[in-house]
Amino acid sequence: MFSAAAESFLRQAREIHEEELRRFAGRVSALLQGPEPGAEAAEGLRRLHLTVAATKYPRRLDGRFVELLQTVLCSPKSPEQVQVLCAAILREMSPCNDLILRCDEIQDTKLLSLVSSVLLAQGNKKGEVAAVGQRVVKVLEGRLPEGQSALLLLPVLANVINLSPESLTEEQTDAVSRKLADWLRYASTQQGIVQPSGGFFSSPRTKQPAPVTEVDGAIATDFFTVLSVGQHYTQDQWLNVQAFSMLRNWLLFYGGQEGKAPNPDDKPGMDRSVTSMVSTTSTSSRLLPPKEHLREKAFEYCQRLIEQSTRRPLKKDDGDLQRACLIEAVTIMDIICKQDSSYVYRAVSFLKILHGRICGDATYARALLPIAQFFLNHSTAIEIFHLLLDLPCLTAALDIQLRAAALPTSEKATSDPAVKPATCLEAFRHPLYKSTFQHFLRTKSAPEDTPESLIPLRQLLGSLAGNPRVVQCAETVPVLLELFFRVMAESADGSLINQLVVLLLQRSDQLYEIPTFKDDVYRVLSSQLAMLCKLHPALVVELSTEILEFSGAVSNIQSKEPIFTHVVWAVGEYLSVSYDKRCTVEQITRFFETLEAVLFEITQLRPLASTPSCAPRAISVLMATLTKLAARSQDLIPRVSMFLSKMRTFVQSPAVTSVYCEEDLEEILIRATELMNLLKMPSVAQFVFNPPMDVASTRLQREVNDSLPLALRMVTHLLEPAPGCTPV
Amino acid sequence: MVWAFVLLSPGGQAGQAGQAPCRVLYARAFGTSPGTPLGGPRQRLRRKEQLLVVARQVASQCQLLQSSLGRLSSPQLPQLPDEPVSLQDAPGGLFQMPPGDPFPDRVTVVWLSVLALACALVCDPQENLSLAEITLRRLAPRLLISLRLLSPGAGVLLRPDAADALLDRLLPHGQMLFLNERFLQAVDRELGIKASR
Repeated sequence: MFSAAAESFLRQAREIHEEELRRFAGRVSALLQGPEPGAEAAEGLRRLHLTVAATKYPRRLDGRFVELLQTVLCSPKSPEQVQVLCAAILREMSPCNDLILRCDEIQDTKLLSLVSSVLLAQGNKKGEVAAVGQRVVKVLEGRLPEGQSALLLLPVLANVINLSPESLTEEQTDAVSRKLADWLRYASTQQGIVQPSGGFFSSPRTKQPAPVTEVDGAIATDFFTVLSVGQHYTQDQWLNVQAFSMLRNWLLFYGGQEGKAPNPDDKPGMDRSVTSMVSTTSTSSRLLPPKEHLREKAFEYCQRLIEQSTRRPLKKDDGDLQRACLIEAVTIMDIICKQDSSYVYRAVSFLKILHGRICGDATYARALLPIAQFFLNHSTAIEIFHLLLDLPCLTAALDIQLRAAALPTSEKATSDPAVKPATCLEAFRHPLYKSTFQHFLRTKSAPEDTPESLIPLRQLLGSLAGNPRVVQCAETVPVLLELFFRVMAESADGSLINQLVVLLLQRSDQLYEIPTFKDDVYRVLSSQLAMLCKLHPALVVELSTEILEFSGAVSNIQSKEPIFTHVVWAVGEYLSVSYDKRCTVEQITRFFETLEAVLFEITQLRPLASTPSCAPRAISVLMATLTKLAARSQDLIPRVSMFLSKMRTFVQSPAVTSVYCEEDLEEILIRATELMNLLKMPSVAQFVFNPPMDVASTRLQREVNDSLPLALRMVTHLLEPAPGCTPV
Repeated sequence: MVWAFVLLSPGGQAGQAGQAPCRVLYARAFGTSPGTPLGGPRQRLRRKEQLLVVARQVASQCQLLQSSLGRLSSPQLPQLPDEPVSLQDAPGGLFQMPPGDPFPDRVTVVWLSVLALACALVCDPQENLSLAEITLRRLAPRLLISLRLLSPGAGVLLRPDAADALLDRLLPHGQMLFLNERFLQAVDRELGIKASR
């Protein structure tokens, strides 16, 4: 289709010499400055446009000519076609150094839109984007010229916020948010009327405006949306379409609260959303601040769209739009729920019904993705967590399933239940293991009925640990886990965090038996545990039973050292009345006694054969945590001090020196001494270990928390001055 | 957001005698992505080159599709009535371009093959890709008519204002619109395009 003629034309345009171009521009210039630039001027501008556009390297046009283009663009006397062509040339040339165009004084929306397209093409070196944004908002807020509407300006605004969202002030975004909410919710539900064009002598037949219909022809009984159908449309209905088309990005940039920190005192999400469901009704939402008002209207709009998108359209092409609307609506709901979790309750029930309705329909397959994303973001976190940890097992199981299917029928018989399977393939056909396989290969979610016999199967599947697919899968799991927790950090409430922590502790010994995989997963889980505790410190009190059980088991130190260490650290950090008023002295004492027993067992002078040798880090963290607890409940101090003073004997005992290396023992001793010294000044210890609830309060406390060893060293120096200095 | 719209001629297949190169016939960018060197001829050059890279990638996808369907690109133009043809079954697709190559951020390109031409939208990956596809399927037939792409000659190169007018209604400043069929008919009426069926 791009014929040889067109190809040669393009080549000509490229090869035009500068002199010829200059002369041609001069001719066009004369035409433009003439009384009525008409078709000939337009034709000349078109050729100029091609010449400029045809080369990658810039064509130099005379500065005065470029200025003329801008003047003609802005002049009300210029025909529209000429204006459009001038703008096209200026855009094609951009960035222009000689641009004198400004939008500050332009009132006419059509011209403002055209000039904005040139300004936005310059690249924002001189703040053009902000200037356009400011002007557009000003015109939108003010009284528009006769016969004009905001219609041409909304796309400009949408472009501005995509390029530079900080161009608008909060006041301005609030003002626009109010308008958007009105356009979304209150567009007319009557069809537009065509002006009768019968001429002077014909009598206009004033037809009654008909109501808009749905895409399936039914009369619409609710507010107007993009899926409303009419013969002709009114201005406010067009604005409705524009407003919805830019809604997602608007909410993304301006719908959230700035610097909203998660509130640890919040009740679990369910309660909060129920109460707000009662208080926020359509009539009262007008009194809400603009952000919340728009959020409410946007949510209602999305609900309506979802309802409309499952009607059977009369025009087949509307079906495509229905699906696009569905995807958009779910995405917007997801954004709204992230910005205000009180909407989650309403959204989840709604989307569950929708999912049920469309999941069998192949034409709606694409819409399932945002729905799945929504559920992932807001409710099925636990199942996903299980799935992630089981991914390598699943890969192995799938591999076996494939191999088993490929076997000849003779070998497919069920194996003897009395004989223990030697290979995975045998296990696949073994009646005892069959249900376990089915659990891994399940297509429906079922975290509750986890069979007990998963552990032996995991061990059996360990023989596939070298399988390249399994290896690759195992390598991706830590990355996916980090991503998972990042999402959780943003959206999980207290109750979900608690569930995750409990699962973390439970599943830490139910992992696929590959050493590297376990190490990597432990590494991720332990750092994420610290993050979860930071987000929701009260979990230490709320989950005290589980944590006591976990930290009291000495075997955990050896098999899951990173997790154990972080759990003990968390107890030391957050088991305090300043983080949770329900923390009692009894609880502190109970934790103290449990951890003291553990530390006692692992620091015996004559260790039994059964005593595990532990990472020195575990010993350090246990000592530190016991000290912290004692600082909070001061009658525990003598017990800790006595314990710490025994550490010297511990590190010097021959049975111990053969197990640990010298540097580690020295570190342990230094740490024990420092902690002991700190406890000699209980009030200082309390200050250091009990930051007020607003954790990042003083810089000193932040620094102390970050560099506790340094602080301890400082205190030690104060108490044990170097020889030769006598305290004053 | 939508970063750009490109209308291109994919050119002949590699290896064919007398092959024509891939040409950008019309392109419209909707702003400069952050990270582009600003100012002067380098900014413009970068823009042109980025759009050419997109065009070439679309062209190779079109050519792959052609060869897999066993069709050769024919120089003869089919005679079609002067109406927006329904391009429901026109082949198309999407692909991603990684950050830095050629745009600073990752982009998704949605493309559509239109007779012997192609058009494409360069979008953010989180953009509503179903809507992008719909937008292209609407733009393409209307471009065919407005730019008289079905008649021989260089018409396509000489009507940037006609293309601009279409884009101003269906993709104003890069904003994709949720227009149902009746709204679309209203747009056609305003533009003077005879609606199909």
